[in-house]
Amino acid sequence: MKKKKLLLIIFLFLLLIFSAGLGIFFGSVPLGPGEVVRAFADREGNPTAFTLLTAVRLPRVMGGIFAGIGLSCAGVILQGVMNNSLASPNTIGVNSGSGFAVMIALMLAPGKVWAVPLFAFLGAFLTTLTVFGLAFLADSSRTTIVLAGVTISSFLNAGINTVKLLDAEIYMNLSSFMAGSLSGLTVRKLTLPCALILAAFLACLCLGRALNVLGLGDDVARSLGMRVSLTRLVFLILSSVMAGCVVSYAGLLGFVGLIVPHICRQLFGNDARLLLPCSALLGGSFVLVCDLLGRVLFAPYELPAGILMAFIGGPFFLYLLLKKKGGRRVSA
Amino acid sequence: MSVPEYRRVSVSCQRTPILRDISLTFPDGKITALLGPNGCGKTTLLQCLNGVSRVTKGQILLDGEDFLSLPPRERARRLSFLPQVRTVIPSLPVRTLVEHGRFPWLGFARKKTQKDLRIVKNAMEFAQVIEYADQSVDTLSGGVRQRVFLAMVLAQDCPVLILDEPTTYLDFQGQRQFCALLRKLKDQGKTIILTLHDLNQALRLADHIVVMRWLSPAEPEPVPRLHSHGSFLPKGEIAACGSASEILSSHILEEVFNARLKRFEDKDGVCYFFE
Repeated sequence: MKKKKLLLIIFLFLLLIFSAGLGIFFGSVPLGPGEVVRAFADREGNPTAFTLLTAVRLPRVMGGIFAGIGLSCAGVILQGVMNNSLASPNTIGVNSGSGFAVMIALMLAPGKVWAVPLFAFLGAFLTTLTVFGLAFLADSSRTTIVLAGVTISSFLNAGINTVKLLDAEIYMNLSSFMAGSLSGLTVRKLTLPCALILAAFLACLCLGRALNVLGLGDDVARSLGMRVSLTRLVFLILSSVMAGCVVSYAGLLGFVGLIVPHICRQLFGNDARLLLPCSALLGGSFVLVCDLLGRVLFAPYELPAGILMAFIGGPFFLYLLLKKKGGRRVSA
Repeated sequence: MSVPEYRRVSVSCQRTPILRDISLTFPDGKITALLGPNGCGKTTLLQCLNGVSRVTKGQILLDGEDFLSLPPRERARRLSFLPQVRTVIPSLPVRTLVEHGRFPWLGFARKKTQKDLRIVKNAMEFAQVIEYADQSVDTLSGGVRQRVFLAMVLAQDCPVLILDEPTTYLDFQGQRQFCALLRKLKDQGKTIILTLHDLNQALRLADHIVVMRWLSPAEPEPVPRLHSHGSFLPKGEIAACGSASEILSSHILEEVFNARLKRFEDKDGVCYFFE
């Protein structure tokens, strides 16, 4: 049992490295491993390859990995904290809230690198609190919360479109932002969000036990000496940091945060201490593969990663739902 | 002496007073059963101890210290609490769940030591769930599951154990097994306080009994009553407390529960039965 899980983790790790490699080698201009090595060894000799790698491929791969880590872990946390298997940054509207705040940031403070992730986090956090408040006030079922999330999502998406249409000077490709895409990433754009995602991810890894205890229900968690409200707030902040930072550079990537935790729950069980790192590994690979397929399948045209994700993730998620008869997960 | 002592405690739940001016002590190293009709505030009274009910007035002392002013983790190291109905049935392996009983000692990030692992193993052995250690809790029957939760609170390693209706959803065999474990825990010196609904079980199990009742005996439903001045009246009060035999001879249970007491005598001795 334990050995099987260890092998699976090693496999996930290799899968991430493999997909990162593919992401670097393939694209509009394929580069072999030899060319990559040569480009780094002799910059002057291969200026095009070097620029292509450092300015396009590497940021893109890095952005993909961190997007996967951020959204999957945010998904695991939201599912645990809300005790709802259908929760994820996308389904409960956190992504949209964060996207809306990104639009506001682009409108109010164009060209400020720090403003976008900050607003994205605030948007994500406010939306999380809203949905959480609704769930608390209505004391409602899992499905109701998701429906509330869907409503909030479309409301905020309308907001995104409105801002974009009213302020034509906002420089962004709206359709790929709405679908979620990794094109046009630069190191400058990525540094702050990725650092924040990494920090939040490491914090989550340390708090896995607390997420488990929180998943036992408020009464039990209190009896075990946990400050339930405070701990929950910390988790909501962490998940908002992760989801918000991803949205700040990759747009509204859906499905990773829902589907990856689900797969990992089936593979590794519900222990958050295992679930968080494994979801991060699988999430990174999933985003990278979707992005790669989007670049390669219809070359020279490029599909945003989010569209591929929906094409692959949608049917797969339906399959999981049918298999689990409602997909109810009882605990973290 | 490691028992909680209530000193003139009042409890409100969302501004509705539930209990007022309760003073109560429990005997050390004994099993105390809290009896009373549904909705008279038994759970509320106990939940002062795990921080779910909010105490508005009065004090609870433990080891001579003001228990409620201790930080939550410190409280959970001295007193373990198993809540009533668990809304969540975790799909974690039994061993992992029992390990969570160490949370008050481990906190968020400390690593488990040999000592923690030993305590967890002992708790599982004591509760007779060690053979299910690697199974997921949600695949187990109700009786085993309840013993798993008992193992979890035992892993907290506290001298005081509070159990809110631990036997309610168990079948006959499960109840008997569970009660046997509680007696064994008492023999190890633990102080156990629990709520029960089965009067006969309480008479057999408990050394000490606290009887609670509706403040107004005619009260039909557990809804807060609006006093003529517009303020809410508390719901329940303590009718009597004392050793099991004292309670039996005071006939308070017959009054509170509207029950009849029967006395049987056979070769094993005298036995009482409520019907």
